[in-house]
Amino acid sequence: MSDETKPGLEFAGHEFARASLDACVKCTICETQCPVAAVTPLFSGPKFVGPQAERYRNGDSVDHSLDYCSSCGTCTLVCPQGVQIAELNSQARAVMKADHMPLRDRLIGQTTLMGTMMTPVAPIARAALHNKPIRTIMEKVVGVHRDAPMPPPQGQTFASWWAKRPKPATAATRGTLVFFHGCAGGYFEVETSKKSVEVLEHLGYEVIVPKQGCCGLAQQSNGLFEQASASVLKLCDDLRAAGRDLTIISSSGSCTGMLKHEAHEIMGVDDERLKDVGTRIRDIMEFLLDLHEAGELPTDFATIEMTVPYHAPCQLKSQGMGMPAVEVLGLIPGLTVVESGAVCCGIAGTYGLKKEKYEIAQAVGKPLFEMVKKTNPNLALCDTETCRWQIEQSSGVKTEHPIWMVHRAYGLS
Amino acid sequence: MRKLAVDVVVIGGGSTGAGVVRDVAMRGYSTVLLERADLGQGTTGRFHGLLHSGGRYVVSDPLSATECAQENAILSRIQSEAIETTGGYFVTGPDDDPAFADKFLEGAKATGVPAREISVAEALRNEPRLNPRILRAIEVQDGSVDGWQLVWGAANSAKAYGAEILTYHSVTKIDTADGKVTAVHCTDLKNGEDVVIECGFVLNCAGPWAGQIAAMAGAHPVDVIPGRGIMVAMNHRLVNRVVNRCIYPADGDILVPVHTVSIIGTTDVKVDDPDNLAIEPKEVQQMLDAGEVLIPGFRQSRALHAWAGARPLIKDNRVAAADTRHMSRGMAVIDHTTRDGLDGMLTIGGGKLTTYRLMAEHIVDAMCEKLGEKRSCRTADEAIPGSESGKNYLVTHRLEDREHDRLDDQIICECELMSRKMFTEALATQPKGTFDDLRRQLRLGMGPCQGGFCSMRATGIALESDHIDIERATGLLRLFLKNRWIGLWPILYGDQVRQTALDNWIFQGTLDVEHLPQPESEVAL
Amino acid sequence: MSRVIVIGAGLSGLVAANRLAGKGVDVTLLTKGIGGLQLGQGSIDVLGYAPDRVTNPVLTLSAIASARPAHPYAAIGAEAVHTGIEYLKALLGDLLVGDAEANYQLPTAVGAIRPTCLVQPSMVAGNVTDGARFAIVGLRRLKDFHPKLVAENLSRTPLPDGGRLDARPVMVDVPARDGEVDSSGLTYARAFDDPAFRDRFAAALKPQLNEGETVGLPAVLGLKDRGAWKDLSEKLGHPVFEIPLPPPSVPGMRLNEALTALAKAAGVRVVNGTRAVSARVEDGVVKGVTMATAGAPREFTGEAFVLATGGFESGALAMDSYGSVTETLFGLPLQGLDDGPLVHGDYWSAEQPLFSVGVRVGKDMRVLDAAGAAVHPNLFAAGGIIGGSSRWAEKSGDGIALGSAVRAADSIVEELA
Repeated sequence: MSDETKPGLEFAGHEFARASLDACVKCTICETQCPVAAVTPLFSGPKFVGPQAERYRNGDSVDHSLDYCSSCGTCTLVCPQGVQIAELNSQARAVMKADHMPLRDRLIGQTTLMGTMMTPVAPIARAALHNKPIRTIMEKVVGVHRDAPMPPPQGQTFASWWAKRPKPATAATRGTLVFFHGCAGGYFEVETSKKSVEVLEHLGYEVIVPKQGCCGLAQQSNGLFEQASASVLKLCDDLRAAGRDLTIISSSGSCTGMLKHEAHEIMGVDDERLKDVGTRIRDIMEFLLDLHEAGELPTDFATIEMTVPYHAPCQLKSQGMGMPAVEVLGLIPGLTVVESGAVCCGIAGTYGLKKEKYEIAQAVGKPLFEMVKKTNPNLALCDTETCRWQIEQSSGVKTEHPIWMVHRAYGLS
Repeated sequence: MRKLAVDVVVIGGGSTGAGVVRDVAMRGYSTVLLERADLGQGTTGRFHGLLHSGGRYVVSDPLSATECAQENAILSRIQSEAIETTGGYFVTGPDDDPAFADKFLEGAKATGVPAREISVAEALRNEPRLNPRILRAIEVQDGSVDGWQLVWGAANSAKAYGAEILTYHSVTKIDTADGKVTAVHCTDLKNGEDVVIECGFVLNCAGPWAGQIAAMAGAHPVDVIPGRGIMVAMNHRLVNRVVNRCIYPADGDILVPVHTVSIIGTTDVKVDDPDNLAIEPKEVQQMLDAGEVLIPGFRQSRALHAWAGARPLIKDNRVAAADTRHMSRGMAVIDHTTRDGLDGMLTIGGGKLTTYRLMAEHIVDAMCEKLGEKRSCRTADEAIPGSESGKNYLVTHRLEDREHDRLDDQIICECELMSRKMFTEALATQPKGTFDDLRRQLRLGMGPCQGGFCSMRATGIALESDHIDIERATGLLRLFLKNRWIGLWPILYGDQVRQTALDNWIFQGTLDVEHLPQPESEVAL
Repeated sequence: MSRVIVIGAGLSGLVAANRLAGKGVDVTLLTKGIGGLQLGQGSIDVLGYAPDRVTNPVLTLSAIASARPAHPYAAIGAEAVHTGIEYLKALLGDLLVGDAEANYQLPTAVGAIRPTCLVQPSMVAGNVTDGARFAIVGLRRLKDFHPKLVAENLSRTPLPDGGRLDARPVMVDVPARDGEVDSSGLTYARAFDDPAFRDRFAAALKPQLNEGETVGLPAVLGLKDRGAWKDLSEKLGHPVFEIPLPPPSVPGMRLNEALTALAKAAGVRVVNGTRAVSARVEDGVVKGVTMATAGAPREFTGEAFVLATGGFESGALAMDSYGSVTETLFGLPLQGLDDGPLVHGDYWSAEQPLFSVGVRVGKDMRVLDAAGAAVHPNLFAAGGIIGGSSRWAEKSGDGIALGSAVRAADSIVEELA
């Protein structure tokens, strides 16, 4: 056995994704939809680094262009044959980076840590993150591009607000839901979390918010599979502690995806706890659509005369349920929702933060930024946090979670 | 009419002939090799790709086991580029007799074949697709080898020593006078020209066809029995080591990773005509079932291509004529002087690819003895051109190569990562080659799409090269697609049906290739 | 809940969804990918060979319908095909030209001449005529188009109407992107969307053209800009035509994007992402189809269902390692399985019977069993899933898709009314 080969990732999930390469008939559809291959010749495309290169891998990946894959998941989504292209790429990249993981990529995955540290000093942190010289130093030392969108530190965490708020006036009539806010929803996008639970309570649900950790997505997308697996299982314990048969609602689109399928398909986490949480979790817009399909969603919405652009994030699309937000928002009178038609905003979680990927990420998102500006320079809607920060930073258009519109239409804001 | 005169004519361009011509040339003889097709299109090009550790024979054929072990080490060194040192396992299947593994280990010790028992857990960790219900596992030094690289390597070495390698030359007659061979007649099939080669000696290395060649010199019938076996290449490496069943040798008990595929084989059926080898549906099913024992879910994996080859086995008095599996793999040198009163010719039969160099050494030693000359063999000492560094093939090679040149050169066969430069360079060395001749050098069309995307590109580039005209270009495309189908339709199921559907969509639907002007006679070579 | 569920986003699925939505029906379109139109040549084949070259497709298909009762056209009928063609033309505006009574005869990327019925305007100038003089232009960095192969085959082929044309190869090297030598057709198409690139390209090519020549280029003349080919033609001062390539097919992408956008604009709910893995049938009536969405599978219920899932290439039909063929969603009875071996070893001489296997349909496109009875009263089929012909050989796939899609949609509208 040659010394130059390394063992591959040691879990069955790797073999499953690898076995799916047999379904590839080289149709090139994935290549035509890949947002990164569209903007740079440095990335050889998903077909190349996925099912094609996988036949050459023996536990090691020597095609470094793989690093340009943003793991947006578009390739797997559009593949008509069922090749797990994005999963293969993520796994191969984890193997490739295993021996020389940059410090930056370790730090970038520590969303909870960042949140905990920044919240108490939010105004200062905010100022620092927008301070040019500080950002320039950050770029040189850590490798995060000086213009990359940063999470906005808030003065109060969602958990703290939840603990201090008075109980809702009306009693619950519909049952209990568990709310999963995710790190961003806990520390940075607190308003979105607040509005989410207010809508759910308005519908008559009792909402439980258990103490909860990080889903591990940022760690996973940087190839830190061990840490990410530990994080996601701990989160499953947190969410299961709230009650075993309850539906779990999340307003963090990408975290939902991590629990529904990514942790299993990319990292091979094969645990009853993950399976349980993965089948019970719903994205909040998905949940509202389900209610509507069952005839149980009140549609006494106020009229909102507005044309607003909506961008479906990659990690929402790859859950394979279409675009529930478009359906639900379509129920609000006067509101015209225009689908962005763009594949990806470019941020791909932490990809677009990195100094060597920043220009590519901006090029990827350019058609989206222009569409948003053209459609409504004052407001855009998108279901995941990092995408919202990217769109806002690069287009200048305020970007909210679709639940804000529902909240408004129910007269709650 | 072309006339040549050499010391030795070698007939047959498989591993035997290539090994022999190399040894002959290195010992200072002037020599020519004649092969009626491309090198390695007989048995050698249709084998399993296995470089035996010897493990397979430690119980059933100890002599062979020792030879394999020794030659394995030699070839891995001198033909390093053609050989991947994958390592191998012998595993006891859930329904196999676990006691055989003990016999195996004893036999390995006795025959000098390196072998070490490992835990089933370790085996499964290293090969995640292996059947989790295996009972025992033994690690050996099996490797995999590209048969065409092997023979061309040896041939190129011979050329460096002055030999001439004449492919597509079909032997038509062997002249004798006064009980001695004097000349060999052949036809250059690519241009129809006859060639007469005066020679002092003929070495008949024609494998399953050796009997036909010997008859041309007027010898008594030589009993070379073709034993047909089929192989199925699966679309990707289900395993990265050779995996053998730890049992007395049977059908379908080996899975070999070769380049980007894994090959399951083989069967063993006596046939009469080595030019007519069917790929029987029953045998395909047998191979898929055999694969399922080693790799659960084998039948859901994608079968990519199948072929049939014929082993050249000398009739052995120990077993019945129809039972070719248990014949000795040992080689036999047939001395026509004593047998047929014919001087100047030796026929070699039997043997296996792993010991090809040793076979060659034996036959050339025998020839020197006949000639009363003392010239020693150095083939084990010198590396084949291209393998001087001793660096073995790694499956990741082409990926690495393409990473270096992807931005400077187009990739023409994407499945097998063949660059445009690789293609044009090979074309320049064989301007009259068919796309299959080129395929054997380059792996063009040997990946999942089976020529679906690359054959049109190859046609266009070949035409641009000005070596061929539009009629030949179109004819070569038709020939290539026809030849690919031979190995596809017998294993067409599952994912490969989808591929074929897409390929048809492209060729017929978009390109309308079947309505191109058709030639009066199809291009055949 | 939608009233109608269409499964599959190929030509037949998109056309059925559009037609239903246009008639006010609530439609959900379920698809695993983004549809297969971008794998095809971007023109509409109604009938190309029967087995000789066809000049009037709609006339010849009537003959086929009479002569071959198992052929899809026998159930679909010439009238439905005619309707489908007119419908598609109306839907796509000036993206397709032509009519049902005549085939264009267009050059292919290996230099054959293929019949096709509706084409994109950018292809029209390539219609072969006696005495035509073509300059076939290749792009050095585009490996899927070889001008010498095209030109020399075209030149030595007697034309369908008699006569000959003269084609010569020209090679141009204008990079689509800096630093790239291996550009896909799509990368070039995006470059051709840029007027500045077209200027550069025209400047490089024009000096190499002779007077009176028509310029044949690979089909990469713009993806978003429908006028790119015309602009290029004006810049060159020569008529220009596109020749379709193997995937990625830019003309195919144009059709796919247009039809998908039209469907969404008409209110079709498109759910793209996962396989339809099972169907729920109660009392013989199809109630719902389940997609393998992430987390938990989702069922989509409806009153009527259109199976537009394609053939073997999409996995709608499959043959396992034992040689057993199935329709993979409903397990429907199939025709074409009882006429002998499905696959044979003769590559050039005859079609593989396997690719004529598919479901049977009635005149209303309801799926039928071997006895001619509807398998489920609310299950209809359209496109490649219908058995009885070898589409690539006959060049009939798009006509079958159109005819069956409009028949299925119209049958459903009648039922729901």
